[in-house]
Amino acid sequence: MSAHSSSSLSIRDLHASIGDKPILKGLTLDIPKGEVHAIMGKNGAGKSTLAKIMAGHPDYTVTSGDVLLDGESILGLEPDVRARLGLFLAFQYPMEIPGVTIANFIRAALQARLPEGEELEATDYYAKLYAKMDALSVPRNFTSRSVNEGFSGGEKKRCEILQMAMLEPSYAVLDETDSGLDIDALKIVSAGVNALRGPNIGMLVITHYQRLLDYIVPDKVHVMSEGSIIHSGDKDLALKLEAQGYDWVEKEFGESDTKAA
Amino acid sequence: MSTETKPDIDIDRSVGDFRYEMDYAFDAGVGLTEATIDYISDVKGDPDWVRAFRKEGYRKFLEKPMPTHWATKDLESIVFENIRYYLSQGQIPKRTWDEVPDDIKRTFERLGIPEQERKFLSGVEAQFDSEAAYSNIKAAVGEQGVIFVGSSEGLKEHPEIFKKWFGKVIPSGDNKFSALNSAVFSGGSFIYVPPGVKVKHPLQAYFRINAQNFGQFERTLIIVDEGAELTYMEGCTAPKFETATLHSAVVELVAMKGAKIQYITVQNWSSNVFNLVTKRGIAHEDAEVKWIDCNIGSRLTMKYPGVVMKGKGARGEVVSIALAGDGQHQDTGAKMIHAADNTTSNIISKSISLGTGRSTYRGMVHVPKHLKGCKNNTECDALLINTNSRTDTYPAISVRGQGNAVQHEASVSQISSEQIFYMQQRGLSEAAAMSLAVNGFVNDLVQQFPMEYSVELKRLIDLEMEGSVG
Amino acid sequence: MSITTTSPAETGNSTNWPEWFRKDQNEAWDLYESLPMPKRNDEPWRFANLKALDLSEFQPAKPVEDKAVLIARSSGLADLAAKLVFANDALIHREVAGLPAGVLLLPLEQAATEHEELFRKHFMSTEARLGSKKFAALHRARLRSGAFVHVPRGVVIERPIEIWHWVEGENATIFPHTLIVLGEGASVTVIDRFVSSRDERSLAIAVNDLTVGTNAKLHYVGVQEWSDKATAFHINTTEVERDALSTALQMNLGGAYVRGESDSHLLGEGSRSVMLSINPANGTREIDQRTFQDHFSPRATSDLLYHNALADSSKTIFAGLIKVEEAAHETDAYQKVRNLMLSDEAEANSMPGLEILADNVRCTHGATSGELNEDELFYMMARGIAPKQAAQLIVRGFFGAVLEHLENRDLQDHLGEILDHKLNL
Repeated sequence: MSAHSSSSLSIRDLHASIGDKPILKGLTLDIPKGEVHAIMGKNGAGKSTLAKIMAGHPDYTVTSGDVLLDGESILGLEPDVRARLGLFLAFQYPMEIPGVTIANFIRAALQARLPEGEELEATDYYAKLYAKMDALSVPRNFTSRSVNEGFSGGEKKRCEILQMAMLEPSYAVLDETDSGLDIDALKIVSAGVNALRGPNIGMLVITHYQRLLDYIVPDKVHVMSEGSIIHSGDKDLALKLEAQGYDWVEKEFGESDTKAA
Repeated sequence: MSTETKPDIDIDRSVGDFRYEMDYAFDAGVGLTEATIDYISDVKGDPDWVRAFRKEGYRKFLEKPMPTHWATKDLESIVFENIRYYLSQGQIPKRTWDEVPDDIKRTFERLGIPEQERKFLSGVEAQFDSEAAYSNIKAAVGEQGVIFVGSSEGLKEHPEIFKKWFGKVIPSGDNKFSALNSAVFSGGSFIYVPPGVKVKHPLQAYFRINAQNFGQFERTLIIVDEGAELTYMEGCTAPKFETATLHSAVVELVAMKGAKIQYITVQNWSSNVFNLVTKRGIAHEDAEVKWIDCNIGSRLTMKYPGVVMKGKGARGEVVSIALAGDGQHQDTGAKMIHAADNTTSNIISKSISLGTGRSTYRGMVHVPKHLKGCKNNTECDALLINTNSRTDTYPAISVRGQGNAVQHEASVSQISSEQIFYMQQRGLSEAAAMSLAVNGFVNDLVQQFPMEYSVELKRLIDLEMEGSVG
Repeated sequence: MSITTTSPAETGNSTNWPEWFRKDQNEAWDLYESLPMPKRNDEPWRFANLKALDLSEFQPAKPVEDKAVLIARSSGLADLAAKLVFANDALIHREVAGLPAGVLLLPLEQAATEHEELFRKHFMSTEARLGSKKFAALHRARLRSGAFVHVPRGVVIERPIEIWHWVEGENATIFPHTLIVLGEGASVTVIDRFVSSRDERSLAIAVNDLTVGTNAKLHYVGVQEWSDKATAFHINTTEVERDALSTALQMNLGGAYVRGESDSHLLGEGSRSVMLSINPANGTREIDQRTFQDHFSPRATSDLLYHNALADSSKTIFAGLIKVEEAAHETDAYQKVRNLMLSDEAEANSMPGLEILADNVRCTHGATSGELNEDELFYMMARGIAPKQAAQLIVRGFFGAVLEHLENRDLQDHLGEILDHKLNL
């Protein structure tokens, strides 16, 4: 019972390690366009690792399995190639890039997606940028600030969503986007994410706390433990985890095989 | 992240990498003797005092040892006997472009001078193999009383202006290479700006080295009188040769009371050139001397622009960007000598080391006793790109007395693989990500260069980065 | 009988040493004679007052007359593991409150005789490379005694060990030596106290070599209270092995001319060296300190913090190099020198240096020179504190910031008291 493979982000029995240490141990997941899936799990389950591996982080090695974007395997592709194919990762700890302004950074990223010789139109670009910044309550003067330099946690997360809004990916992985946010920032970020939902984008929201899922309501919830998905359900599963914790899931489903969504 | 580097990286040298077989009417031969000095003075028709000055410089050059006790041993590869010290076509400075001989015009056309001419220059004096082959002082500049001539013309025609300061900002005996320059100098710009005149457009000159084993020894002296202002730009290229080439220039700046001088250099010599330059400015009361320096080329550059703040309230500033690629050594820095109360100096230096490149910062800040209210701020940051690159920092700060504040901060960093991954995740290729980060590193300094230079600089840095990412 | 012209063989080497050591000393003397004196444009002696290096008037020290007085004056920390007292290069007192089994706390000549292999391995095994090679050779040639501290594998000594070095006699010379070797996982705190018994002219050429084995922890403090007429050299080499930590503080409270050289070799992966110094310079004192943070292995950390307060016509020189060798990736190295200028005649020279050959390195160095903060002064005066006292408090706070880097609270307080006494607070 899987989604149409030609318009989904599919992870097939993925095994991966960092150095000698295995982290992902047979993870399978399908995220079709038009749906929002959530992954929850305790710290150490491998959630952030999954996000980084999907994006192609060089520190990790895939030992078996596959990741397919719209039916094509993306393993072995450079991170920027995967990005240009439509994959976006909202980082848990966004990097600071001194001296590179937000305006120039996003413009360079957009320019990289255009065919050789074609130039990004400046006025259109800025119009769009300002509109998105306003929607996310990011002050317009941030355009000339260096990416993430000196930003608060909330500002960094909003900057991630701003980039997502400008780059219009087909698949977005949001890695603990709610960590370090107060309730107001959470609402703004969630509104920004919800504004981008639609039939042309599949999203994977990785979170430790259920609270985010009150605002970004998922279509499906998966529980990750020790490197694989051990149980899936709908949004009520998240509430149950909030109320009862993770132990019951691990006891009931922990040793069994990964269940299909 | 890739750490392999290609050997022998070239940045866009295609524009400078050519030479024409020229027929040199005057050739002093190789090696340096007193006869060479006489030859040069004869050809130029130097007044006696200039001939004597040259000979004195020659004597000092012979006396002084190579500074290898603190500088790189690579200096020992310079073989003075194999260098040609004077070469020209026997041309006197031209007034209009049309009068310039065709073959020389061809050289300049490839360097894009006519285009520059159309833009916002007031006058161009282009040096070709030691002799000014073209000079054009536009009416506007002429009317304002600005003098803009070559070194020979300056000393012959306007000694009452230039003799006073010539060799005073940088005495011949300052170091071995200033002594050499004093002996064989040729070409360069002599500029005088009368009181109150603010020259709107930057003045500019080009230098080239053509012919094997030829050294460039231009001499520049710029005097800006009370309340006047000037910006001067110097950008150079040189074709590549098998054997080492020596460029040993001297630049002296004098800013009288309330005057402002900004001297901008983009150095892009070929990777076989030894670029050893002595640059110093004197800032009188409330005057300002600012050096903006970008060093991208050459095999070895040794350059420590300095300002002597002689009058109260004087200001000195050095803004420096250095990029050391494979096999290159950029040994740059600044010297700030505070010699009056309430003087301020600022040094900001950013260097990038790529491949086996090496960048060195040497600074000196001197604040003597009994001065009050002096301030210095030095910031020197180094960025390392690959495993084999090297960066060194050797500042020397000497402060006496109360009432003065000196601050020196330096840091070394690299573009982390996490930063590169982040940028790649946004769709930028590894090379594009590196370029963006490196340009970001030097961005606030590049902004201080005039527009057309900042664009060219960004392009040069991009090309250099492309070559370094495997 | 000048120490610079009369060879040790002529003055008679101490018979307490083994024959092979006395031979080494004669060779060291030859080396001393063959090396040239520092010259003005020698980089390691830049800005220094070279006249102070004329040591020809100094003579070997004679045994002290009144040992008991000096022993009584050697009163530092109350709670110690052990204490040694040297006067004019002779051990005059040794007391042990409690040392774990296996710990060696001996005068050097005894260590050389009874533990030859261990001694030979560690005694002056690295070259003095910051400029004082000639003076280190003189030290080796004329050395008569010193302290040997060996803490074997796994042994932790809770309470500190204190070692006193007294000099007495006009133009007397002493050659204090402290050799500390820590085995794997060992831990100890050692305090060297250097004192002139009277207001006399004297010379001390002191060497301390610290070897910190894998995972070991050393806290070392050197406090010098030489007379205002004294000349002193303090030459240090510290070697830190894998995952070990060395914290060293040098407090220079006296001396007319003091030359300090601190050389940290970060040998093992994850090693750490913290280098601290407190220098209240007044009168016409010249304090010349040269340091080296030399990183050989990856992931090591070095952190240098030197504070100088310059009053009257004093002079300080600081030249510190951080070198990150090719293999030393992911190095974290920091260096900060602050000069507080308290008079018009004071002079501070700073030459912080960096040589980086590795990748993935975080290094910062900074040097600042400035005067007392007017706002701080005003604030204190507004609370009724007289300007002179306010300045002293600020200076004390300025040094307190360095003391805070010592982990041991008691040690901080104790050194703070010594400092207060010096600053007349």
